[in-house]
Amino acid sequence: MATRSDSNRSEAVTFGFDWVSVALALGGVLLLYYVVPMVSLFLSVPAGDILARMSNPTVVDSARTSLLSASISTVVATLFGLPLAYWLARTDGAVTKAVLAAVVLPLVLPPTVGGIVLLTVFGPGSPLGEAAIAAGFPLTRSLAGVVLAQIFVASPFVVVTAKAAFESVDQTLEYASRSLGKSRLTTARRVTLPLAGPGILAGVTLAFARAIGEFGATMMLAYYPRTMPVQIWVAFIELGLDNAYPVAILLVLIAAAALLILNTVASNPWD
Amino acid sequence: MGLTLELSRLCRAYGQFAFGPVDLTVDDEVLAVLGPSGSGKTTLLSLIAGITTPDSGSIQLGGRELVGVPLEDRLVGMVFQEGALFPHMTARENIEYAATASDRVDGLATLLELDGLLERTPPTLSGGERQRVALARTLATDPDVLLLDEPLSSLDAPIRKRLRDELHSLFESLDIPVLYVTHDQRTATALGDRIAIVRDGGLEQVGAPSTVLTRPTSRFVARFTGTENLFEATVTNRTPDGATVQFGDVQLQTTASDVASSAVTACIHPSRVDIEAPSVTDGDRTANTVSGTVTRWLNEGSEYRVTLELEDGSLALTANVRPPTFERLALEHGSDVRVLIPDASIHLIPDAERGSRTH
Repeated sequence: MATRSDSNRSEAVTFGFDWVSVALALGGVLLLYYVVPMVSLFLSVPAGDILARMSNPTVVDSARTSLLSASISTVVATLFGLPLAYWLARTDGAVTKAVLAAVVLPLVLPPTVGGIVLLTVFGPGSPLGEAAIAAGFPLTRSLAGVVLAQIFVASPFVVVTAKAAFESVDQTLEYASRSLGKSRLTTARRVTLPLAGPGILAGVTLAFARAIGEFGATMMLAYYPRTMPVQIWVAFIELGLDNAYPVAILLVLIAAAALLILNTVASNPWD
Repeated sequence: MGLTLELSRLCRAYGQFAFGPVDLTVDDEVLAVLGPSGSGKTTLLSLIAGITTPDSGSIQLGGRELVGVPLEDRLVGMVFQEGALFPHMTARENIEYAATASDRVDGLATLLELDGLLERTPPTLSGGERQRVALARTLATDPDVLLLDEPLSSLDAPIRKRLRDELHSLFESLDIPVLYVTHDQRTATALGDRIAIVRDGGLEQVGAPSTVLTRPTSRFVARFTGTENLFEATVTNRTPDGATVQFGDVQLQTTASDVASSAVTACIHPSRVDIEAPSVTDGDRTANTVSGTVTRWLNEGSEYRVTLELEDGSLALTANVRPPTFERLALEHGSDVRVLIPDASIHLIPDAERGSRTH
């Protein structure tokens, strides 16, 4: 028996397909597909050129708009998202499933469609949009529009990731805290949030990364003031590819920073 | 002076499982709640603690209604099964989190022998250490009631025994109602001033450990508290201070006279059965004497579990035999012995219970 299986095995090595090498090659090619374009982007323009173009006022403006709007969007998404995430983590049933589906919908919806959906509510033709314009606070072609678009596409990341983080906190610990005479608020502040913290931070980071890269819905809702992705688009259309590089490099750096945060202080949800 | 905990007509249903109605009064005492898993022990604690809301009924503590009061306002301390220590805090921080006064920590640390453990985090503590910290944390709130959910069940036998001894004296010093849930009969009898036997969401019997052990009101209680010898028997003769019961060809005298029906279950706890050499004739007049044969024995450490066949083999009886007796009689498979069953050790359960089992 033993000798027979041995001979089978050597046959497989000699005549069979080496699946391990094939698998390694497949994975390696995909990895190169990620890395090579990044390196190529950084090599495409001389470093001095990039720094010069980054000081261009339109680039600086777009960077300021993007950072400001993404920060506001992230704060709002976190503020409104955590209670929902907690509720989703602690309840079960058909209603919970339906609510979760509604939360995930913006993730699977094409961003331009998201923009159209938002226009029907906040657009100049809608009652809310008209009222806002009359009040001097337009919800489209304004920073508010940028923020609205970003919240729509980015906030599900906070909710879904924070939900998983809350679920990882044993509910017995909350009961224990409350049985020690601590209110729900104290329990949340001293027990639940510290334990779910790294997971929540991961969701916040992801939402920020998604918000700063938001293009589709933002284009529909607020072409002005230009965010970085919109500025890349404009530079590419009007002035050619070379002019789109500096902002693109800036965005790659911000994305890399987000990844760094995920792997240090936050708990990487994909680990 | 502690408050009295009073449960009345307490009910809670979960799908197929129905808890209650339960009526129970607990004073300054340790009530050991004993029952198999899934019988409703933890539900009972959850209801009192306020983690679960009852469908109906009331829970009163010193006359104050607790149903409807959020759990953080109940002053009911609960020690959870695995301790439920906050993993991001040290042992000291866990206790300080709960403490009503900051000077409580050191006193409790001394009481529960936590010195040297206080700066460590829960994952680095052993199971027994975690339970002691959890108990200190709960006591730091000065609770009006103390609930413990199988705090020793996950511990190794030697640590469990040691903590059981320590808990016994600690509970005595508390002067509050203590409910101690366990599925271990030894822990229940060792710690409980009274024992409550839980079965299928209801209280089967509540009483002093010795009463529950020697006078079970049902076959379930008898079996769950370690009475392995249960025989379907018939009362053949009744006198003012006892009765004669017959099972198979064996007739035994019992002092039990409080059972009206003639069809009964006779319970004999294995620890009450004595064994002598067959040659010994002068016996205890208050004990039934039967001849028997050893069919099997098992060394359980502190005692031997011996299975005996009585008389003509119509009845198998289990006896716990102390090692000195076992060795003196040189017992082995097939040994003939004289079996002594004291009249007072034969307890009778009326037939009704036997009937209910077949339903």
